[in-house]
Amino acid sequence: MTSRWMTLLLMTRLLAAAVAVLLLLVHRVTPDDPVLIGAGVAYTAGSLLVLTTVPRLQLSPAAWLVDGAAALALVVASGDWRSPFYVLMLTALILPATSLPFRRALGWGLAFTLAYLGVAVSTDLDADVLESTIRVETIATHLMVPLVVVLALAYAADVLDRLRDERLRSERLAVESERQRIAWELHDSAKQRVHAAHLVLSALQNQVDGPEAQLVSHALTELRAAGADMDTSVAELRTPLEGRSVQRLLEERAAELAPVSEAQINVQGTVGELPAHIAAHIYRIGAEALTNAVRHGEAEHVDVMLARNGSTATIEVRDDGRGLPAIRRPGSNGLRSMRARADTIGATLSLGPGDGGRGTSVVLSWPTDSDGGSSHA
Amino acid sequence: MIRILIVDDHPAMRAGLIAVLRAEPGFVPLDAAHSDRDLWPMLNRTRPDVVVLDYHLPGDDGLVLCRRIKRQMPAPAVLLYSAHADAGLTIPARLAGVDGLVSKSAPANELYDAIRRVARGERVLPPISRELLDDAGNRLKSDELPILGMTIEDTPLLDIAATLGVAPAEVAHRIDRMIKRLKLEIPAPRSAG
Repeated sequence: MTSRWMTLLLMTRLLAAAVAVLLLLVHRVTPDDPVLIGAGVAYTAGSLLVLTTVPRLQLSPAAWLVDGAAALALVVASGDWRSPFYVLMLTALILPATSLPFRRALGWGLAFTLAYLGVAVSTDLDADVLESTIRVETIATHLMVPLVVVLALAYAADVLDRLRDERLRSERLAVESERQRIAWELHDSAKQRVHAAHLVLSALQNQVDGPEAQLVSHALTELRAAGADMDTSVAELRTPLEGRSVQRLLEERAAELAPVSEAQINVQGTVGELPAHIAAHIYRIGAEALTNAVRHGEAEHVDVMLARNGSTATIEVRDDGRGLPAIRRPGSNGLRSMRARADTIGATLSLGPGDGGRGTSVVLSWPTDSDGGSSHA
Repeated sequence: MIRILIVDDHPAMRAGLIAVLRAEPGFVPLDAAHSDRDLWPMLNRTRPDVVVLDYHLPGDDGLVLCRRIKRQMPAPAVLLYSAHADAGLTIPARLAGVDGLVSKSAPANELYDAIRRVARGERVLPPISRELLDDAGNRLKSDELPILGMTIEDTPLLDIAATLGVAPAEVAHRIDRMIKRLKLEIPAPRSAG
């Protein structure tokens, strides 16, 4: 947005400088016209050069202040408030008027107008001027113009900003609804077919043995992994991780669980950068392990430890709760989906009793290559 | 011989279930409904022993349907067959009168086993842990807790009504309300997929 206003500044200031130089050449305003022309050209060229080479200054109030002061100085130097540099001076209002919020922009315009009034008083504004109607009108006009310029520019900038925000918002909404639609299709249709295929194939498992049984079991593993991939994709589509690190995400999950948990949850260490697909699976396995520890473990402490050691990365979720149930809870889906997710990224998941046989320890480890990703991917 | 009725909104799942159950000796899949609308005529026509009921359905979900199925006389056993069969569903399932809970990602053997057990009148539900009870207790009103306790101890509806001194219809109504409140996702994890 700034670049558009910078173009406006560039064009108007060059034009205003040309007008000022022409006026000085044609009308011979003061005895020092050549010096004034030099100063005007130097101000125009210098200010535009600095503002275009250091774009940061386009948004700096200090730079606007220097620019405005220099423009007013030119007016003072020309010895009269009806200066040939008047329009050039107005261009110093473009950047503050378009960059500041609406009210502040108006404040800036008002301050500038007062400064100009000061200049006018210090140069040629005296009782003589105020007695003549035409001259009073002229000074009033000269005082009004900066305010009108600032008002118009600030209003335009404000409207453009709103339009841009609105467009961004509607684009975001469009992307969001598309994501929801894809998630819905994955979850409500493709996933159901995978479940059905898994069920049908698993019925075959009892009826074959030997190498065929191995084939069936291999196909079942693949189907479970496909289901897990879909779960992760659906979760990604519904609540994208947006490139946040696994550690950060687990910390956020811990914070989410804190109000409903009596356990002290502690997340430490890091696994470094991971490719997005790997990170999504790793996070969701870790989050599931953490949730299980909090929900079923009757734990007082849950520690989530992330580590990267050479070519292996690990996440351990350890609690001091009541440990793994002797028999698996019927219908418990969590562990199955954790294993399936681990399979799909070539990670190993192991569960066992924690330190000293107390609680549960869930360890997820996966090989990383030099890029940080799983070598499986 | 166990006579089974299937309710699932996805054609692939209905076809898969029918094929798998037909292949297993001792099972007779009768028909498959895709929503509650075609379930009732089928239920009246076929009088199944077991209903394998999907949880996510268009319109009323599996728990609401289960409540209504269980009002039939005689009521079939109901096996809730869900993609999200986790422990959080245990208490609402118990209140709704579900006999068994099986995950859609479980192998066929687990499903066969669960069907046989619920047909025998057994219950195939995860144990109700203290956390689950605490969580349910936090989300229910204090006058609903006795109903929860008695339901878990298999007190018949009429006895619950007599104990509380209210009409049986009122108890049923309260149970519906409790299920509604409990089946809301438990601390909605980011990973809810």
